[in-house]
Amino acid sequence: MTHPSAVRIFLKTIVARSYPRIVASFRNKTWVITETLLPLIGTIAMIYVYRALHAPARYLGFVVLGGVLLAFWQNVIWAMATQFFWDRGAGNLELFAMAPTSLAAILLGMAFGGAYVSLTRSVAVLVVASLLFGVSYSAAGLLPALGIFVLTICALYCLGMLLASLFLFYQREAWQLADALQEPIYFLSGFYFPVRSLGAVVGGVGSLIPLTLGLDAIRQLVLPGTPQFIPIRWELLAIVVQIAGYAVLSQVSLRFLERRARQDARLILRST
Amino acid sequence: MSETIAQWRGFKAATRLGWEISSNWTQPLIFVIYSVVRPLSAAFILVVMYRVISGGAPGTAAYLAFLVSGVAFWSFVQYGFAGLSNGIVEDRGEYKMLKYVYTSPAYFYVYLLGRGLAQLGSALASTVIVLVVATIALGLPIDPLHVNYPLLLVGSFLALLAVIGMAMAFGLLLLQAVDAHGYGELGAGVLYVISGAIFPISVLPGLLATLASLSPLVYWMEIIRRSLLGTSAVRMFPALSDGDVLLRLLVTTVATLIAAHLVFTWADRLARKKGLIDMESNW
Repeated sequence: MTHPSAVRIFLKTIVARSYPRIVASFRNKTWVITETLLPLIGTIAMIYVYRALHAPARYLGFVVLGGVLLAFWQNVIWAMATQFFWDRGAGNLELFAMAPTSLAAILLGMAFGGAYVSLTRSVAVLVVASLLFGVSYSAAGLLPALGIFVLTICALYCLGMLLASLFLFYQREAWQLADALQEPIYFLSGFYFPVRSLGAVVGGVGSLIPLTLGLDAIRQLVLPGTPQFIPIRWELLAIVVQIAGYAVLSQVSLRFLERRARQDARLILRST
Repeated sequence: MSETIAQWRGFKAATRLGWEISSNWTQPLIFVIYSVVRPLSAAFILVVMYRVISGGAPGTAAYLAFLVSGVAFWSFVQYGFAGLSNGIVEDRGEYKMLKYVYTSPAYFYVYLLGRGLAQLGSALASTVIVLVVATIALGLPIDPLHVNYPLLLVGSFLALLAVIGMAMAFGLLLLQAVDAHGYGELGAGVLYVISGAIFPISVLPGLLATLASLSPLVYWMEIIRRSLLGTSAVRMFPALSDGDVLLRLLVTTVATLIAAHLVFTWADRLARKKGLIDMESNW
């Protein structure tokens, strides 16, 4: 009897873990509603804040693009970072640990599936909010913006994999921690205003989150007149470095924390 | 008399339970930081948005106070509405104890009121800290010695009754769903848009503005700003006196409570009929 190669198992695990997410993206109607409407409502509220302030039209575009990436951040927090916490609660984590595959492949599958789900939600936010409030974008910058968007999402999900391994050590507080990673991140990443407004220090700290630089670069490309935080080529370089850095860190962290979790019996510790 | 004692005990137990569920996952200091970090960040977001547009021009403190007071007091709705309605669903799905609450001597309303009060306790700390930090950091024209406390307390009491009433009805409606994750936040999000918390409702399109004017939250927000800021408050209803705003708050609160009671009773009957009280849900 021949055994499949390690690479084949790795790839099949990625497909297997992303499959339920892709299938469930339209099957679970209640999640479709919350995952689409939550970022959309937040976006609409902020658009009305700018309208009340009689802000120039491009500021509405800042908010809409922030809302698009917000859908990804929510997915990374609630379906990547906390996923092993949910899996442990449901009894899946111990099955993952026993399976002849790696947790890294499972995380990658979660990331692919999650990115697909978020993409469907964020497209809905982009289309609905842009049409409702008459936001227009520079066509010339769309293609490079799309490229930066893809790189930003890659970096973001690498960060998500890192967070997932860290969350293995949390019990009930995982929920609260994920909750607390919302508005503070919206602020630090400049979801609703130009990143430059944060200043060098706060903006610099916020730049550790890939969304900050990605969002600023995308805005510069599709919304002419966006105040520049740093030049696009530097933002691009930083995002590429973040992809590599967070990918390596996530694997190191995953190995270390998986070993610790096995020692401390946290892989099977049910916590609700 | 014994009936009253039984209800009081039920209320006390529910309040304590709600508080423990909300807060005993960590140390008190961490809990306070957790309670404050989200509303404080939300306030900072609005401050930066405002500063970006106004350019830090003089005379902007009044509008900043409008934004910050709305966000600070919004914690009551976030905790009271989303927290309580999610709590009902969690009691069924996560803790599997809703059926025991139904069979206990305490009235279900009394139990939920206790659970709601615990949520409002968390919100109070958050509101006070956000207001204090923002007033000092941004130089907002809020003087604790000149706050109209009676107006603030009466207005807040009425509005929070409405919030708890809406949350109870919404929470019972959510029992119809197998998986209601995020729906409490979604409901609070809708209320956020039509409450006048972060922008005057006059910027909303006609239908939404009309809907907003029927909500007690709009008049509560107006009362909060008038009582905290006095004559320097940016007003959503400049033609109305304080008494008129309070009267509108009273009327809309009574209407909301009646509507909430009807929805609650209907959803409760439906949940019992369909066997949803002890249904296994997605946890």
